Amino acid sequence: MDPVAVDILKSEEVVAGNTPAATPRSWYSNVLVVAAVLFAAVSVGFVGSIFWSSLPTWVHHGGTLLTSSAWVSPAGPFGGLSMITGTFETSIIALVIAVIIGLGTSISIVFFIPRRFRTVVATLVELLAAIPSVVYGLWGLLVIAPWMEVTVNPWLNKWPFAKTIFGNSGQEFGTSLLLASIVLGIMILPTFVAISREVIAVVPQDLQEASLSLGATRWQMIREVVLPTAKIGLFGATFLALARATGETVAVALVAGSVANAQFHLLYPGTSIAAWIATEFGESQGTEISALMALGVILMLLNVGLALISRALVSRQRKVLARV
Amino acid sequence: MTDLIELEEPTEPSTSSREEIRRISDNARARRVVTSRIMVALCGVALLIAAVPLVALLYQLIDKGAGQLNLDFFTKLPQTPTLIAPNATGGISNAIVGTIALTLYASILAIPVGVLVGVYLAETNSKFATTLRVIAQTMAGAPSILMGLFAFSFIVHDLNVGFTAIAGSFALAVLMLPVIIISTEIAVRNVPNSLREAGLALGAKPHMVSTKVVLPSAVTGIVTGVILAISRAVGETAPVLLVIGGGFTNSWQPFNPVSAMPLAIFENAKSEWPSQRAQVWGIALVLVAFVFVLSLTARIWASRKQQVRN
Amino acid sequence: MTEIQAVPTTQVVTPRVRGPIEMQLKNVAVSFHGRTAVRDCTFDVEKNRVTSLIGPSGSGKTTLLRALNRLHDLTPGAKVSGQIILEGTDIYRGNLTVTELRTRVGMVFQRPNPFPTMSIYDNAVSGLRFNGIKKKSLLDEAAESSLRSAALWDSVSSRLKVAASNLSGGEQQRLCIARALALEPEVLLMDEPTSALDPVATLRIEELMTSLKSRVTVVIVTHNMQQAARISDDCAFLLMGEDRAGELIEFDTTEKIFNNPVDSRTLDYTLGRFG
Repeated sequence: MDPVAVDILKSEEVVAGNTPAATPRSWYSNVLVVAAVLFAAVSVGFVGSIFWSSLPTWVHHGGTLLTSSAWVSPAGPFGGLSMITGTFETSIIALVIAVIIGLGTSISIVFFIPRRFRTVVATLVELLAAIPSVVYGLWGLLVIAPWMEVTVNPWLNKWPFAKTIFGNSGQEFGTSLLLASIVLGIMILPTFVAISREVIAVVPQDLQEASLSLGATRWQMIREVVLPTAKIGLFGATFLALARATGETVAVALVAGSVANAQFHLLYPGTSIAAWIATEFGESQGTEISALMALGVILMLLNVGLALISRALVSRQRKVLARV
Repeated sequence: MTDLIELEEPTEPSTSSREEIRRISDNARARRVVTSRIMVALCGVALLIAAVPLVALLYQLIDKGAGQLNLDFFTKLPQTPTLIAPNATGGISNAIVGTIALTLYASILAIPVGVLVGVYLAETNSKFATTLRVIAQTMAGAPSILMGLFAFSFIVHDLNVGFTAIAGSFALAVLMLPVIIISTEIAVRNVPNSLREAGLALGAKPHMVSTKVVLPSAVTGIVTGVILAISRAVGETAPVLLVIGGGFTNSWQPFNPVSAMPLAIFENAKSEWPSQRAQVWGIALVLVAFVFVLSLTARIWASRKQQVRN
Repeated sequence: MTEIQAVPTTQVVTPRVRGPIEMQLKNVAVSFHGRTAVRDCTFDVEKNRVTSLIGPSGSGKTTLLRALNRLHDLTPGAKVSGQIILEGTDIYRGNLTVTELRTRVGMVFQRPNPFPTMSIYDNAVSGLRFNGIKKKSLLDEAAESSLRSAALWDSVSSRLKVAASNLSGGEQQRLCIARALALEPEVLLMDEPTSALDPVATLRIEELMTSLKSRVTVVIVTHNMQQAARISDDCAFLLMGEDRAGELIEFDTTEKIFNNPVDSRTLDYTLGRFG
């Protein structure tokens, strides 16, 4: 999941630094070109076949997909609004959780943890990112959901405005959009920490010392100098984590409750685009599959958009630091 | 010796502003120091909060999973519990076989192409190569469910192969490709140019330099990337969920339906039988152990290589 | 105030009357993880004079300088022993917080390091803001006065809101000096402040240091002996000992160190025989 994210950052650095000595021209170079063309074909096929399969839906139900929340299988109409809202709702809450906790975690790792423990913590973070998402989902479903149902939800419902935010229906659900958001937040935390830690760690030491020498406290150093210098890269990390959250499938499918529910209420069951594809696909045929493919196209556009923003930000951060 | 000294008009410090600065900063100091301590403590709290669910998850995985592991778990086929035998869950041998088979075929599909494309990107500077690089980076972050949709519409539907192991392997291969490409490119580019130039200076042809000098030096980096890609594929549920059909036998056949460990977790986690829900922890433990061993191997391998180089 | 006279070496110099003392170093030693990096440093830094620390690389000049505003505090395994006394208070053990110390003892670094995300103005007043000063009039006044003292006001007064990274290297370093001066410190530590600059910019900084004397006491580390001779009033010569730890060989007025040192190693070094 997330060594890749860090690799993406590195690959641009390497590309900028090292130029190949020569372009080989031989049978060997032909093999390389064939492989490259094959990969290009796969990527075109990847986008093309999903889009092609979704075409009937865009032609016949294009408007419904984006505006309606009624999903009636097997014949339609297929409204994707509740999945789209669910995706944004869960991802953004997850992101808030991950950014607040992750920023504190990264700062602690870079500034407060003794150097010899740093590699251990970094390895742990990477391992946590490697845990398959179905395992997070399992844990959320079998451990956290019962606890939410019995303990957390009744407590939350005692809050003022609980009805508006959480939607107390008199019935408590274990699996809910809130649970999905929390599990997602835990899942994208390692991704965010892996990148933000690197971005924070490369803020030049002498800028930190300069601020301390002016009488800044450690927190002022972090807040006024380190974080502003790392700002763009941190936004990059945020967008990448958001991209991860929007694309997360099975964990959400397990803990959100798998209900196409257009309510915004957090304690109700709901679903997301990716989770809905995963839960509905097995029982679908014909037009419904095409509608799910159309949801896939939306997911792809959303994901590519976020990934491109993230890449642009991170490479701009690199330029800023190069100038320092 | 001192004639370079040019004494300018000395700037006298304005004593009143110096005093005012001292006074204000003295007054503000205690509050600033306390704020700093609180914020540092909050960062530590964030670290602990981040650790709690993850430690809890690993603890429960071992606590609930270890008891499930026995010989039958690994060797028997699954059973559906009945009212008469509510604890008869059987084993997960089909899922283990399925996961190994899926990963094997996916590796066969993805590794050669991925490595070659990575080398191509490292050895070429062209618009095409740049485009491919951006595509690979974008695909590396794409939601894995999309690979499942691709495999369904292309393999299952268009090629009419049906719900089979090979369809799942295809989805996993598409998932692995960008990871292998990116790490191979980095590994190859990290080979020092002096090595290439030395080879060329000795009169070797460029492709000889590439295959005999560059690739052997980059092999550790490439293998690390491949292992990471495999460890990612092993744990993926979403892409295989849509296309492998969930077979109930131990099948190595690429054109048969198969099961997989992540799929078994996903299905049985929602089971109404407590015994099946309990067994899921065992599968999860095995899966996580599998993934950890792979990632740790890759990490240790990479860091040892780094030490050798330094 | 007594100025150094450029006197022939043969002339006998009457002992100078010592002025008031800003900082006293008594047996100062710094070690990292038990390994001594510099030791036996005992000398007085006089008020409103420029004191230079010279010596070959590895002699612990920078390490010693960084001990003077407790920058080693954050380095794991670093330990400073001995006494460093700023106007009667031991800066490590006395009743002085580290943030307060650093407002009284400023620092300028090797590489010009203005805060890249701040404008020229914000850089100049950053120290004041760190210390809780928000009053606009006070900030404006301090910005102008410190930028003037750093000989930068005339060239930047019309573009104070511009990012500091747009300045040239020499201007950036002068901005860093202004930034440190804005807090009205008593002592300004400079760690090879011209090593990253071209000769013209170096000359301007050197002129600046001399003119700053009336405002602050300057302690400067330099690897450039001509620079030490040109700008400093007093001079401490450090050398790496047998066990690779730096130690103070000799401290005296610059004039004495360069013309008539007590220790033969000092003479060898100033004559360029090693280092």
